[in-house]
Amino acid sequence: MADMSAPTPPPANPVIVPLGDQGLLVRFGTTLSEEANLATIAFARRLQGRLPEGVSEIDPNLVSVLLKYDPRRIGFERLAGEVRLLIGAPVEAKARKLRRHKIAVSFGGQAGPDLEEVAATLGLSADAFVATHNARPLRVLTTGFAPGFVYCGFHPENFVVPRRTVVRPSVPAGTLLFAAGQSAITGTAIPTGWHVIGRTEFRNFDPKRDPPTILDEGDELTFEALP
Amino acid sequence: MTAIRITRAGPLTTLQDAGRFGHLRHGISASGPMDRVAYIRAGAWLGGAGATAIEFTAAGLGLVVEGGPLAAACDGGSFTLHHNGKAMDWPARLMLQDGDVVEIAPGPAGNYGYLRFDREIDMPPLLGSRATNVVAGLGGLEGRALRRGDRLELGARERRTMSLHPRAVAPEDGPIRFIWGLHADLFTQDVRQNFIAGTFVISQRIDRMGARLEDRSGVFAGSPILSLVSDAVVPGDIQILGDGTPIVLMRDHQPTGGYPRIGTVIDADLDRVAQLRPGTEVSFEPVRLATAHVLLEAGSR
Repeated sequence: MADMSAPTPPPANPVIVPLGDQGLLVRFGTTLSEEANLATIAFARRLQGRLPEGVSEIDPNLVSVLLKYDPRRIGFERLAGEVRLLIGAPVEAKARKLRRHKIAVSFGGQAGPDLEEVAATLGLSADAFVATHNARPLRVLTTGFAPGFVYCGFHPENFVVPRRTVVRPSVPAGTLLFAAGQSAITGTAIPTGWHVIGRTEFRNFDPKRDPPTILDEGDELTFEALP
Repeated sequence: MTAIRITRAGPLTTLQDAGRFGHLRHGISASGPMDRVAYIRAGAWLGGAGATAIEFTAAGLGLVVEGGPLAAACDGGSFTLHHNGKAMDWPARLMLQDGDVVEIAPGPAGNYGYLRFDREIDMPPLLGSRATNVVAGLGGLEGRALRRGDRLELGARERRTMSLHPRAVAPEDGPIRFIWGLHADLFTQDVRQNFIAGTFVISQRIDRMGARLEDRSGVFAGSPILSLVSDAVVPGDIQILGDGTPIVLMRDHQPTGGYPRIGTVIDADLDRVAQLRPGTEVSFEPVRLATAHVLLEAGSR
């Protein structure tokens, strides 16, 4: 049994670069990997509730965290120094409880017009594809691209297809997408080059809520097929 | 009840306040005025203005006042203004009465202008802001651009305040300054050199998401198509699309992107990019981060 009170090891040494004149980007990788994504999530959690002086907001991405700062209040070098100190500091033992969500999905048919084709590409029947897709929980890797759009991963290496060559001009909120070893749920109507495999009633984004999204990076999602 | 009724709206006329900040992690970029200094100046003419402005585009705007009296001011670019048929200077401060007609017609320069009032536009803010994000369909009036027939009710008079009146900057005054970006090292030394030595042209495809540039000398023509991990995007990022088209990302940018970004236009120069009209030649000059900060500080005084 794992010792839940043990502090998680500090994330790998990130690269700290400016992004424009009011952004500091902490990059845990330049390609998408499990390790870089987990380090990103861990660092974003460390910043939660204790933003450095002069930082107005943070934005965790797939493998990086953006800190928006006011250069009239803190210089880039000083902020970079504080970030390095935070990364090196030991984490308090109290780990945040893992949040789990169940997402009920109508797979295939009108809700998922690309399901048959994607399954065939992988040499699977539609039913076998859905079973494989839902076999293991996925982690919310990040929210980005559009309001409440969540990237979820990772699927096993033999369960990967590239994106479509043709972009669909619009898919509605609650669309389940599949490409590049990930699944994604749309929070609003968006154009997409990902494969459309299903639809859920779950709405991650509602601008009348505060905060406007439900899912956080690091949350665990279990997908269930609606009959 | 004091209100204004829109009688004519060019494409992508929107309501904008300073912006919807603090929601990047939810996938929401801040929006806000394309020419922030012009927006601030329009408010400063009133010495106490509602935060929400009408941002109009090069085709201009027409409106009729209901109720009143109220004070309004406009600034940004150079438009042709008539108040009840009488030609006015630009920028301008107007005292408006019931039934007054304001006509803003295309002028010699600029893509964006701002009309502000001495009171707030009476509609509930969304996530702390009334700014319209047309791409995401959020905020403003039903998340959309304004159109003919829209009626905007106005609230109580704002308290008069001392406001700073920042200096207007001519958009064509020298090269657009930038700092080298997230993916600058993915471009060859030659491409980087040609980027700062070359001249680009503002294309017809400019909107609140971004300004596409014409790369007539083919600086980015041979650049390899890179598959990059999606990463944070900020306003001013100079992104190179797969076909080599450079695009300067503006206020309604997507919050993340996977195209390489060679640089980021400094905050002090982003208003200038917004006001450059299609066909205008533009070049870029790299500056150090410290220089960008000095210019930001100077601009905020």
